[in-house]
Amino acid sequence: MNNTRQNGGLIKRFQRVTNLGPLIALIILVVFLSIFCESFLTVNNIFNVIQQSSVNLIIALGMTVVIISGGIDLSVGSNMALSGSIMALVATQVGLPPFLALLAGMAAGTAVGAFNGFVISRTGIPDFIMGLGMLSAARGLALVLTGGLPISGLPPTLVFAGSTTAFGVIPMSVIVSIIMVSIAWFVLNYSHLGRCAYAIGGNKDAARASGIDVANSKVKIYALLGFFVSIAAWVQIGRIYSANANMGSGQELQAIAAVIIGGTNLFGGEGNIIGTVFGAIIMGTISNGLNLLNVSSFWQEFFIGSIIIVVVVIDQLRRS
Amino acid sequence: MEEDRLLEVRNLNKSFPGVQALDNVDFDLKQGEVHALVGENGAGKSTFLKILSGNLAFDSGEIYYQGENYEANTTQVAREKGISMAYQELSLVPSLTVAENIFLGDYEYKTQNKLITFIDWKYTRERAQKLMDLYNLDINVTKKVEELGVGQQQLVEIMRAVAKDVNILMLDEPTSALSQEEIDILFNNIISEMKKEGTSIIYISHRLEEAFQISDRVTVFRDGEQIKTMDIVETDRDEIVSLMVGREIDDRYIKPKGTIEKTYLEVEGLTAEGLIENCSLKVKKGEIVGLSGLMGAGRTELAKTMIGLLEKDSGVIKIDGKKINIQNPNDALNAGIAYLAEDRSESLVYPLTVSQNITLANLKYIFEHGILHKSRERAAGEKYVEELDIDTPNIKQKVKYLSGGNQQKVALARWIYSDVDVFILDEPTRGIDVGAKIEVYHLIDELLANNKAVLLISSELPEIVSLSDRVYVMHSGQIVAEYEGEQITQENIMHSATGGTN
Repeated sequence: MNNTRQNGGLIKRFQRVTNLGPLIALIILVVFLSIFCESFLTVNNIFNVIQQSSVNLIIALGMTVVIISGGIDLSVGSNMALSGSIMALVATQVGLPPFLALLAGMAAGTAVGAFNGFVISRTGIPDFIMGLGMLSAARGLALVLTGGLPISGLPPTLVFAGSTTAFGVIPMSVIVSIIMVSIAWFVLNYSHLGRCAYAIGGNKDAARASGIDVANSKVKIYALLGFFVSIAAWVQIGRIYSANANMGSGQELQAIAAVIIGGTNLFGGEGNIIGTVFGAIIMGTISNGLNLLNVSSFWQEFFIGSIIIVVVVIDQLRRS
Repeated sequence: MEEDRLLEVRNLNKSFPGVQALDNVDFDLKQGEVHALVGENGAGKSTFLKILSGNLAFDSGEIYYQGENYEANTTQVAREKGISMAYQELSLVPSLTVAENIFLGDYEYKTQNKLITFIDWKYTRERAQKLMDLYNLDINVTKKVEELGVGQQQLVEIMRAVAKDVNILMLDEPTSALSQEEIDILFNNIISEMKKEGTSIIYISHRLEEAFQISDRVTVFRDGEQIKTMDIVETDRDEIVSLMVGREIDDRYIKPKGTIEKTYLEVEGLTAEGLIENCSLKVKKGEIVGLSGLMGAGRTELAKTMIGLLEKDSGVIKIDGKKINIQNPNDALNAGIAYLAEDRSESLVYPLTVSQNITLANLKYIFEHGILHKSRERAAGEKYVEELDIDTPNIKQKVKYLSGGNQQKVALARWIYSDVDVFILDEPTRGIDVGAKIEVYHLIDELLANNKAVLLISSELPEIVSLSDRVYVMHSGQIVAEYEGEQITQENIMHSATGGTN
């Protein structure tokens, strides 16, 4: 009896800090790294962290909407490789103006997302199975298109988002991230589609009974994620001055981790964009910190995986 | 304790939050008798059987079985002691064979040595076949359960309950899924054979004629109380019906007199294979039409077919004389028909706020060109929290933190806000306290005052009787009776609901 009350208290305490959770985790992380690592708390490094987080953040924003709607997309890393490769190919080999190449890549990313949503909602197959299939299919397509070779010599338009700075100091990727955060925030809080995402993820039957077109909404939500992925691809190819079919491998896990760390319910219905922003920065800070602490990249993979498991377990406990 | 009593129950009590499910129930069962339990929905019959079968624990009271104190924490314990139940919702594994299902969890093993044991499938099949032979059933024991019809599955479920030595067999509405032929098999082969062996049977049925056909005694439950136990030969249908009914509605509610206009909603010959058959009804504006019937009669299925949540096979729905095509709930909403689900968890989005839930069926109004009109959303939330007296700290409270009654008001508010003309309310007062019930009644009055049409599904007869202008009664997926004015009595409704003909 006494025991159960204590458990209840503990869970309640968890619940009370849930919204502050990601922020507190970030503060602890920053304090820890500042103490153990001299070079961490420098202006340069902080920009570095934010810049490194931007690709993951942009994907995680779209993923937040998908997860809130009760779905999940495992194909985002492959989709990023595909849409980035298409941008580079169209610009360097088809010879269309770079602006059109950018649009072509965005269209491809959006189309892959829409196709995922279409198949899931029309056939009723589980979201993550569709994602697994597309993870392989999109990567394969990217390999076919590029012949497995990196494409370099990108025009300025395609490296604009990843490699330039605004006013000489602020990385353009940060500006793009802020714009994408605003779009995602607006979609979730002020758009019809965002409300449908919450309703479908919170209670699909209720959404349907209230006259919401669940199938159509899912297509749009996945297409939105695909669009975000293509923007992330634009930033990514700009950062590395080239595109290749192998980029973004394992990206889906990083993005999902950022969303879950940010407090979005893995089973849908609850979540917010600000949490995801913190989640992505936490992920970026962790890998930056591990780098600065000279932890091998092999161990880094291990740590990232462990963190994901721990966060999901805590999330599960908090909700039960 | 009398000599021939196999089971004796004294002062049995069981409560759930807010409900006294069993109230000082006394009951006894003789060796080798068939004892029918009858009563309205929620009278406590199923709760009673669940306690005996080890599915539920009781609060207080005494149960003597074979002269000893009896308490079963699990169904396994109950079965070990010879008390077994066949469930209405089948508990079979569809992908396993009949034989495998019947002896599930109780297989005979062939032991080779200490490390390796095998299930003796041949013996299992033989045992199952023996059982089929004993009761003269023509069911192939090597067939997978999913390949059987639902009626045969029900018989397998019963075989599973009797596979072990059983002294008391409990059947919860076994005939609802059976064809007439299968009912005959159940009565003539299984039940009479078991009686011969001296097994006692407790039998819940919503078809009174069955009680007269097979039982020796009958016990009437009402509101969790055992009302009366009688020898079946000393009673008749009318007496049983009058004992089943007789609850009164809260006298703090008096229905106001409204004005009823011309027919608005018409349903003609609606059929959904296996659920409802050839159902026709009419609802006028300003009118409350009650849809009554016992559990499993098909009321909810009828409502869900009307709004396109279940697929119809045939039938026509007309609004204001015009035929409309309803494929999904969105079509129904566009036609002005709303359905308040029986189960609140089907209608509410718990992680969303009060105002977000209220506006969910009218998103096209609060999202202009796809963009949220915050003031409209707030206004809607505030309006209905005020008008429906929803007890919430503010309109931004998540619905999951509200009480049941307030959640129900939020669900109702959603349909009022979506400005429809026909309200199908499925058990709108289930699981909410008396005060909230009265408030819901007043809300329904208000709907009528605003010239809406209401189809009220309720398991509470007093509620149906005092609210309805007209009543349809369903039985076995069909509308079997219609009552109006003075004819609307609990007795008449119960008579039709239990399969009585006029």
